[in-house]
Amino acid sequence: MSRYIARRLLQAIPLLIIISILIFVLLRSSGDPLATMGGRRVTRPDDRARLARVLGLDQPIYMQYIYWLIGNDWVMIDVDGDGVPETQGSRRGVLRGDFGNSLVTRGKSAVEIITERLPNTLMLMIPTEIIILTISLSIGIYSALRQYSILDQVVTAGSFIGYSMPIFFIALASMYLFAVNFRKWGLPYLPTVGMFDPKVGKTTSQIIWHMVLPILSMSVISISGYSRYIRSQMLEVISQDYIRTAYAKGLSERMVLIGHALKNASIPIVTLIGIDIPFLLGGAVVTETIFGWPGMGRLFIDHLSRYDVPVVMGILMLISIAVVISQLLTDLVYGWLDPRIRYD
Amino acid sequence: MSFKRTIWIGLLLLTMISLVLAGCARATEEPVAPPPEDTEPAPPPTEAPPAEPKIITIAWTQEPDTLNQAYSAMWYSWATTAVWHCWPWQYDENNEPYPHMLTEMPTVSADGLVITMNLRDDITWSDGTPITADDFVFTHEMIINPANAVDSTYPYDYFEISAPDAQTVVMTFEEPFTPWMSNLWQGVLKPKHVLQPVFDSEGTLDEAEWNLAPTVSCGPFVFDEWESGSFIRFVKNENYWGGEPKLDAVVFQFVPDDAAQTAAALAGDVDIAFWPPYEDIPAFRDAGLNIVTQASGYNEGWYFNMREMASPGVKDLVVRKAIAMSLDRASNTAIRLGVVKPVKTFFDAIPAFVDPTLEPWPYDPEAAKQLLEDAGYVDSDGDGIREDLDGNPLTLTQGNTTKEERLNYQAVAQQQLLEVGIDLQILSYDADILFGSFSDAGPAAIGDLDIMQWSDAPAFPDPDTDYWLCSEMPSEEYPWGYNYFFCDETLDALFKKQLVTVDADERAAVFHEISRYMHENVYWLGIWEDPDVWIVNPRLSGYLFSGVTPFFNIMDWDVVE
Amino acid sequence: METSFGPTAPLAIADAERSPLSLGQLVWLRFKRHKMAVIGVVILILLILYSVVGAFFFTEAEANHTDLTLKFKPPSSEHPLGTDVIGRDILARTIFGGQISLMIGLSAMIVQVMVGVLIGAIAGYYGGLLDSILMRFTEAMFNIPQLPLLLVLSKMLSDKIPSVNLFGREFSGSVVVIVAVIGLTSWMGLARIVRANFLSLREQDFVTAAKCIGASNASIIFEHILPNTMAPVIVNATLGVANAIINEAYVSFLGVGVMPPTATWGNMLNGAYKYIESAPWLWIFPGGLIVLTVLSINFVGDGLRDALDPRALVETE
Repeated sequence: MSRYIARRLLQAIPLLIIISILIFVLLRSSGDPLATMGGRRVTRPDDRARLARVLGLDQPIYMQYIYWLIGNDWVMIDVDGDGVPETQGSRRGVLRGDFGNSLVTRGKSAVEIITERLPNTLMLMIPTEIIILTISLSIGIYSALRQYSILDQVVTAGSFIGYSMPIFFIALASMYLFAVNFRKWGLPYLPTVGMFDPKVGKTTSQIIWHMVLPILSMSVISISGYSRYIRSQMLEVISQDYIRTAYAKGLSERMVLIGHALKNASIPIVTLIGIDIPFLLGGAVVTETIFGWPGMGRLFIDHLSRYDVPVVMGILMLISIAVVISQLLTDLVYGWLDPRIRYD
Repeated sequence: MSFKRTIWIGLLLLTMISLVLAGCARATEEPVAPPPEDTEPAPPPTEAPPAEPKIITIAWTQEPDTLNQAYSAMWYSWATTAVWHCWPWQYDENNEPYPHMLTEMPTVSADGLVITMNLRDDITWSDGTPITADDFVFTHEMIINPANAVDSTYPYDYFEISAPDAQTVVMTFEEPFTPWMSNLWQGVLKPKHVLQPVFDSEGTLDEAEWNLAPTVSCGPFVFDEWESGSFIRFVKNENYWGGEPKLDAVVFQFVPDDAAQTAAALAGDVDIAFWPPYEDIPAFRDAGLNIVTQASGYNEGWYFNMREMASPGVKDLVVRKAIAMSLDRASNTAIRLGVVKPVKTFFDAIPAFVDPTLEPWPYDPEAAKQLLEDAGYVDSDGDGIREDLDGNPLTLTQGNTTKEERLNYQAVAQQQLLEVGIDLQILSYDADILFGSFSDAGPAAIGDLDIMQWSDAPAFPDPDTDYWLCSEMPSEEYPWGYNYFFCDETLDALFKKQLVTVDADERAAVFHEISRYMHENVYWLGIWEDPDVWIVNPRLSGYLFSGVTPFFNIMDWDVVE
Repeated sequence: METSFGPTAPLAIADAERSPLSLGQLVWLRFKRHKMAVIGVVILILLILYSVVGAFFFTEAEANHTDLTLKFKPPSSEHPLGTDVIGRDILARTIFGGQISLMIGLSAMIVQVMVGVLIGAIAGYYGGLLDSILMRFTEAMFNIPQLPLLLVLSKMLSDKIPSVNLFGREFSGSVVVIVAVIGLTSWMGLARIVRANFLSLREQDFVTAAKCIGASNASIIFEHILPNTMAPVIVNATLGVANAIINEAYVSFLGVGVMPPTATWGNMLNGAYKYIESAPWLWIFPGGLIVLTVLSINFVGDGLRDALDPRALVETE
């Protein structure tokens, strides 16, 4: 078993390197982080040249990647612009745990910036995931058992509408309804943006209150897709012979469902969670943008818009590593759930 | 009950419990921060229960990158400085300068080479340490030291600084530097007693804690907390040398989406919104919110590219004149609901520097057609687009950033030009792509576009700009240059002349000439004025805005419930 | 969670089990039973008619015609769907935007299917080192969440492609970018399915037989194995169209989508969501059309999935 784990982890290394090269090249061949530096005007030419030199952005792209990967503390760099490298580089590189300093929030490391936001994202995404799974399990199982019944059609149609909606649509519509109009109508209303009201402070109740709308929006669009998936998995299972046999034995529907069908449908559900968990770390770009939730999704889009390579690389690599680990865990759970699967 | 189901329920429960725990932990860890304890021996108030703290929330669509102005080019960082920092001189609601940390406005020697500031003797940092000329000298040193990767050394590398005594700062230039007033000491002053030790031990200020948490500063409020992605809170500076602020705290809350900002302002969740989409203005009016517009020097305009790679059409003055007369800019401004004015020159926001005899180009498509007709641009193949004498169609490319207002305006302009027979190909780019360097093949730098549109300001409230200088042309050797337009020797000479013309009237006269020259040659075509627009909840009182230092009188702001 | 959203669910594998009815008849029988799928087909046909026939009543110039005196006009007899921020007719724009949106959906799907099938088929058929390399690459692409990848890619390509003229219409280069970017970020699921099918099918007798009579590799891949793995490809392709349309709307929402002068349903929504209250016709119509299209396609996909499911096929009648 431990050899299996070790082998999987070793296999992941080239994978992660491919991913990092892919994203790095994409990012560095897009915009110029020094063009406006977030300001309203173009950066002065002298400053731009100086910063490119100091931040290493004037190097060829493969050198930038190498510096990112293994650091530049083994070379001299030219800081004062006289063409003679005189200062020892200070970056240690990703392989030694240094993702570099942000190009936007200079002086703060990418790791620091990411870890500040990670808890916020998890605080929003974990409850969302739980709600989505609970509801979509119920819906999925129900509509599988009553395939083509009127209720299945209604639930299917409803879930399809949710699935077919862009999330910003639901997010903004619910914000205008529950936050703006409810207030206008004198009804109890929900807050619009942020994680808490700064006038009240960061209390648990405030955070929960501010989580309602984002969770609602994300649930509406995701429950549908998931329940469809669970429905199809259940359908597959209940069309199996042993289920017929179980019914033939005269077992109650409940017993068949719990004892046989759900059990066998659990592997695909584990797969689903395995796929989801790493992406939970990435947060939800659109939802977080609309509701002003200070999570990873917004961090990503903010820093991507200024081509902050260290932070964007950091986020994507974090997700990639999480994907690798969660795939491994998923496979281990398979083996545990289904004794027929063995890893050597 | 099956074994696996138990596992399932167990897993769910575990997650929920950990979640609740996480939530509680955060809640207990971070209670509502009270205003910091008074370090001075101010006796605690004995009478009456404390009133509800007065806190205002300002919606900020972009999160500052850092608060140290030497390291930031962001307006959204710089604009906060009047709240928590101090400027030697600030600007009032008429954009007039007044001395703030100084006993009087700085004096300039007759040759324009020496500028002297006399500091007040009662100014202190928020920890009680006096602010002296040494702090200015230290700040200057830090900015020009290559060990610090600051965003801009301009214009600190133009002068040497000395401090004859604790209250006197003397800046000596090699050449006169006329636009000093709008370029110097804008929220960059650094507390030497805090940062000198950091620099000595780390060899750079790049990673100083103060950059992100300037707990020692000199404004009416002082930094309290910055939660990434969420807010920055400044609380009342109990040691403020300029008086006692009426508010207890000012919170900048980050609301990245325009529509969400509008919703938050309408719902009253934020007290101030900034720069909302113009189309939302009626909604704010209906909701009884106050709308304040304040000239900031910025103008949206068309920049014409007349370098060799540009289309021949745009290099022809006749065509540029025809364009100026084909665009119905007055009605375009009507899109903007009467909030802003049309604009005729790049320097409009500083009227003293604009030739008063200039008249904006009239909207007269018929005259434009005639002009083109007379110059030989006729539509010979009947496709609605004129051709020049060689038979090349009058097709021009125009590009701007992806801001929604610009995209909408592009469509309008395209149509208006088509009516006189000019074909406008419209393009749009992300700002960091549009302004990419010459070596990155940025569309502006390599001259892909004949006409470019964006909003910019001269060194407000001073008209200095170096956009059109011949030395700023981008090239292989100088990839960062930002004169994307052309090199005009006459204009270049005028711009260089204004920089060293010390006498204010004479300098204004040079600018009259510049503004007339640029106007008559249609080198820049104003589309609309681009002022700061503030949406203010009526529960605030005493607020004023300046186009230079937005929160210059934040000390007098109050909440009227 | 929209980042992880996509047709990641493994699809049923159609093997070549036969019953007295022909496969086509069986599929149609099963498909007909899925009422929503049939309705979906009808709606889709209507939507296509809307954007094709509509073009006979309006020219694209009219769709892009601005009239500032007419901005924000609610639906009326003159402008049945109202006008937008700069007075363009929304009806005409939804017609021409529809053409582009549907075209983006279809083209992105074609890119996706071509890349997915090719990579999956080659990896599954040849196996060995080639398989490992291709699957590593697939996995790498899979590991990057789609929306962020879409954003990075469209930013990178956004200034690289000029406007193109096609069928007498001018398309902003960003249309090509979006098609390529969406297609190139959504083929991975399909590649895996195709590979899995190829892995199992290449050992089957009919493949061995084909090899014996000297069929070339290409012929075996495309003429013998591929037809037997069409079911999941068809379902995946159908859903791919819906996903591409939704992805276009997301990317447009985040400001890196299709740029003017070309209208799409997605970029019509881009600014319109700000007037969710004051000018609802700005978002109801393009938004409604997106939802309707995606919905119908999803129904059709679902119907196809049920209809093409081999176990279900055997079961029928």
